[in-house]
Amino acid sequence: MTSNGTTEPEPLVRIRGLRKRYGDNEVLRGIDLDLAEGEVVCLIGPSGSGKSTLLRCVNLLETPSGGTIVAAGHDMTDPDADLDAARREIGMVFQHFNLFSHLSILDNVAIAQRRVLKTPRSEAEAEARRRLAEVGIEGKERSRPAQLSGGQQQRVAIARALAMGPKLMLFDEPTSALDPELVGEVLAVMKGLAAEGMTMLVVTHEMSFAREVADRVLFLDGGVIVESGPPAEVLTAPKTERAQSFLHRVLHPVD
Amino acid sequence: MTPKQRRRLSRAVQYVVIAAVVAVLAAVADWGQIADSFFRLDLAAAMFPAVWTPFWNTIVYTLLAFVFGMIVGVPIALMRVSSFGPYRWFARVYVEIFRGLPALLVLFLVGYGVPQAFPGIQYPGGVYGQVAIGLGLTSSAYIAESVRAGIQAVPEGQVEAARSLGMSHTRTMITVVLPQALRIVIPPLTNELVMLTKDSSLVFVLGVTTATMELTKFARNELTANANATPLLVGGLLYLLLTVPLSILARRLETRGDAR
Repeated sequence: MTSNGTTEPEPLVRIRGLRKRYGDNEVLRGIDLDLAEGEVVCLIGPSGSGKSTLLRCVNLLETPSGGTIVAAGHDMTDPDADLDAARREIGMVFQHFNLFSHLSILDNVAIAQRRVLKTPRSEAEAEARRRLAEVGIEGKERSRPAQLSGGQQQRVAIARALAMGPKLMLFDEPTSALDPELVGEVLAVMKGLAAEGMTMLVVTHEMSFAREVADRVLFLDGGVIVESGPPAEVLTAPKTERAQSFLHRVLHPVD
Repeated sequence: MTPKQRRRLSRAVQYVVIAAVVAVLAAVADWGQIADSFFRLDLAAAMFPAVWTPFWNTIVYTLLAFVFGMIVGVPIALMRVSSFGPYRWFARVYVEIFRGLPALLVLFLVGYGVPQAFPGIQYPGGVYGQVAIGLGLTSSAYIAESVRAGIQAVPEGQVEAARSLGMSHTRTMITVVLPQALRIVIPPLTNELVMLTKDSSLVFVLGVTTATMELTKFARNELTANANATPLLVGGLLYLLLTVPLSILARRLETRGDAR
């Protein structure tokens, strides 16, 4: 594609001219975004700004209307792309956890290894236990998702994605459905993941998390990236009026 | 009159009417005749143990038709929710046909129409094969609709989670959607089993022997032989012995489904 940087490493995610429309409603209107390996990028913006759609386009849960996406070495927008193979290497965490409600916690984390990677059961379960321990869930292997708190369920969902050994993790408002006192435990796990060097794209309303963990913050509005930069810049001294008013509303909701 | 008084008066009138109807029936009815027609213990006793064969056949016919209905109905349900248009249309037409035709007519078609159109055709298991297909076709349409509703009741997020882990569409169906859908669908399927138990009484039209007779046919033969209705009562009780536990089971499963 570009011929300028031969020394520059290939980005793990490269999005060019991404568009998404539903009927007459254009939700994404030309997004360009690169994610370097190990980078943590937070997407912020008002509801309807297209940030979740952008995230869901990366692993093609939403089919883009235009533009190209390369993620974890897979040309996602190539019509002949093996999306299943690509998604194995792109973990995703959802707002509502979406744990498999008919399976035990252990099976939730082991099932995709067994059915997709064809890992033998004992091996898959050992890996599942390791991943569960990593997110601080122990002694719940036989429980059903509904028996766990929201925070615990979301940590299991993270373990489930990690068990596939992804190169990239997508988080779609991972703490928005949680009771306030459970948000911290999930953010702590994500922070640990970032510290280990995982490449992460995070849609979030947790400004303190973005400030502390993100390498870069993108402010989306009306389907375009309005501001992009280090958190100190975008969150503390936003340049555009739209970002200023959004941040003011988020940080001072009562005013 | 206050509304409360009016309510009381209306309730009182209803009780009086019911009591009057019962009293008139009791006075007019010939109790000896009724007891003679329905409650001849000697005739009831004489049905045993022969009645166990048709009783057992009723169970076998029901289960055969149910198994056939599942084997055909689940794929039809999957076609019904397929993203491939022709599959959806075929399944739609299939369901409309076999849900719209009387079970008796389908049974005739399978038992007499098909053998005439395809001379020399042999159903596996003779009458058992005919019943499995004849009653199973109708059943499969109802099962397909129940299973389709179950599949559509599985939250979209479950599918997205499975796909995001790299599961194919088919793999997602088998591993995540169907197990959850079947759980949702157990109460309506139990009801289908109750319906089939009763529909098995249609099997007599295929021409059955003593060995392959079902319960209604057996009871009717006894009715004719003895010129007495007691066998019908015994047969009816034996049906209830099958259907009432199933209904109770279905209700239990339904309430447990709510709790989850």
